[in-house]
Amino acid sequence: MENNNPLSPHLQIYKWHISSLVSIVTRITGIINILATTLICMWFASLLLGESNYEITNLFLQSFFGKFIAVGITWSFSFQMLSEIRHLIMDLGYGFEIKTTNITGIVVIIFSFILTILIYLLGRQFIL
Amino acid sequence: MRAVTKRWLFLKISSLILIPLMLWFIINFVSFYDKNYEEIVKFLTSQPSKFFVSLFLVFAYFFSALSISEVFEDYIDDEKIKNVAINTLNIVAIFIPLITIIIIFNLGL
Repeated sequence: MENNNPLSPHLQIYKWHISSLVSIVTRITGIINILATTLICMWFASLLLGESNYEITNLFLQSFFGKFIAVGITWSFSFQMLSEIRHLIMDLGYGFEIKTTNITGIVVIIFSFILTILIYLLGRQFIL
Repeated sequence: MRAVTKRWLFLKISSLILIPLMLWFIINFVSFYDKNYEEIVKFLTSQPSKFFVSLFLVFAYFFSALSISEVFEDYIDDEKIKNVAINTLNIVAIFIPLITIIIIFNLGL
């Protein structure tokens, strides 16, 4: 028998909430992160070709576009980490009230940008 | 223990391990992504970065395979296509980190 039940979640039907936005962005950043990690793996593999073949990759990574990608990956990782921490806290049984889920959702969104800046400053040794 | 419970536990445990590894990796990625060939090879071939990068890759792909398979289960209706997609995902999640770790361990040779 053909199953005509609609698949979940129904993005076009749901009324948007902070928690649904965070949930969807978590899934999207999860996919972005694994694609980025795969690209990083390919980048590591390209090192086997030797120093002379690395010039083009190095030029690309030093360009504005390369820096933009690095910052983008940092934000995507930051969002995923904070969202996972939120999920783990909820798994312990805390933060299920609507008001609390909205607050923690907003915290994840705002702190993902703050954490991105902190990681970038820390990585580039502007702080510590 | 039911298979879904086991998968949920694996997802949570890998998530718990992955969070500090992600933080360590992304801070280091930002510090070395635009460095020259020698500096990147030096970073990847020295300890403890060689160990932590390998660990990060294993857990990142393990966690992603589990969470993306959840997305497949939510969005793919056809059982056959769903199984093929999940099996392909699992194979990719084993081979990519494995090959990359072998490459990293051969870089300094």
